[in-house]
Amino acid sequence: MMTYIVFILSVIFVVSFVGFSSKPSPIYGGLVLIVSGGVGCGIIMNFGGSFLGLMVFLIYLGGMLVVFGYTTAMATEQYPEVWVSNTTVMGVFLLGLLMEVMLVLYVLKGEEVGVVFKFSGVGDWAIYDTGDSGVFSEEIMGVAALYSYGAWVVIVTGWSLLVGVLVILEVTRGD
Amino acid sequence: MNPLIFTTILMTVLLGTMIVMMSSHWLMIWIGFEMNLLAIIPILMKKYNPRTMEASTKYFLTQATASMLLMMAIIINLMHSGQWTITKIFNPTASIIMTSALAMKLGLTPFHFWVPEVTQGISLTSGLILLTWQKLAPMSILYQISPSINLNILLTMAVLSILVGGWGGLNQTQLRKIMAYSSIAHMGWMTAVLVYNPTLTMLNMLIYIMMTLTMFMLFIHSSSTTTLSLSHTWNKTPLTTTLILITLLSMGGLPPLSGFMPKWMIIQELTKNSSIILPTLMAIMALLNLYFYMRLTYSTSLTMFPSTNNMKMKWQFETKRITLLPPLIVMSSLLLPLTPMLSILD
Repeated sequence: MMTYIVFILSVIFVVSFVGFSSKPSPIYGGLVLIVSGGVGCGIIMNFGGSFLGLMVFLIYLGGMLVVFGYTTAMATEQYPEVWVSNTTVMGVFLLGLLMEVMLVLYVLKGEEVGVVFKFSGVGDWAIYDTGDSGVFSEEIMGVAALYSYGAWVVIVTGWSLLVGVLVILEVTRGD
Repeated sequence: MNPLIFTTILMTVLLGTMIVMMSSHWLMIWIGFEMNLLAIIPILMKKYNPRTMEASTKYFLTQATASMLLMMAIIINLMHSGQWTITKIFNPTASIIMTSALAMKLGLTPFHFWVPEVTQGISLTSGLILLTWQKLAPMSILYQISPSINLNILLTMAVLSILVGGWGGLNQTQLRKIMAYSSIAHMGWMTAVLVYNPTLTMLNMLIYIMMTLTMFMLFIHSSSTTTLSLSHTWNKTPLTTTLILITLLSMGGLPPLSGFMPKWMIIQELTKNSSIILPTLMAIMALLNLYFYMRLTYSTSLTMFPSTNNMKMKWQFETKRITLLPPLIVMSSLLLPLTPMLSILD
């Protein structure tokens, strides 16, 4: 099972995405997002990226999702929709599950384990060993490079976030 | 809207397109597209009525789907080539997905359904930005990946777009919908020649933007959004009736005017590549476009369209001053003798 762990985690990832995109009430969407965040962290950890995985838990689940949960709890309705309460929601969820099951069967039964191995062997983050100051991992170096060589990306992303806030305020302001 | 915020958001739209056109990393291009989309939503929603909100929502949904498809194509390209630079796409699947994504952003058939509805629901100035500036970014990416685009898919989409742009505009009286269908048809002409000679795509884009700018500014000048209100132009400013006539005929592609230049060059380029049926079909279907432009000129400048008697006496309010209008009109009608100059676009 350990050779296929990334594959299994990715299946759970996709199923939880189907779970919230079949649009139950946002509270249940947030619940499934927690699951998908945790599973996504597991996938990243399997490639050797411990820093990024813990960042998912800390910033994404522990920061953004908490704020999302609080705002949704303030704006929720008396009888929130679950996956089984509405025929449409259940139908979409089952459709998504069906597509995922067919994909899994295609990957496993068609002897296409190359797809699985492509995703769980190649492309691990490389580990550099410099003589003097110890072992560096490529993913942390990538984060550091974002702030040095990738300064333009930081500027663009920061500006996008600022404009995002301005746009949201402008759109919800009304007349 | 607060003028400072409006300026910031408008500058972000410009910045988004600039980032798309100047980046060498696929991820930055995607970020540029998203920035562009995010910032244009409040511009589309300048007036707060349900129609603009519906139009903005439709625009956002279709463009976000296109961005997602673009991201998928980028990742498949990464998987197969191992690098992020903008060159041709190394995998046919990624190329097809990316072409579909960019076609959704441009409004090519079969992804054209959002163009008339969104253009109709927003104000004239926002429609102007939507139909001219927003076409620059996807077209620049198509230009850059043009060596690897699947010819069959692109030509099918182009020919169907010219057909839909011509046929769909026939039953319209709302000017914004007419301009939307005209945009679909022109995009079809542009993408038809993309694989053969991308310089002509850029030429067509340039002339199309000039003509569409002119048309929209003439509409804004007389504040008319329907054929009926455009037909009262003889009463407000009689000079603009002639200008509307000239610009509309230029859009239809008639010879002594500059709108003929791209069509002529494109047909010449296509026949040089030994396809005869295709340009013939395209030229014939452009006649449908010419028909509804001519119908507009008929009701506006060639006849005094019947109207009720109280419409014939208009108050002379202060006319809007559109500084850019005269040079645009000149450029969109008199550029044909300058055709040899297009070699600078290479």
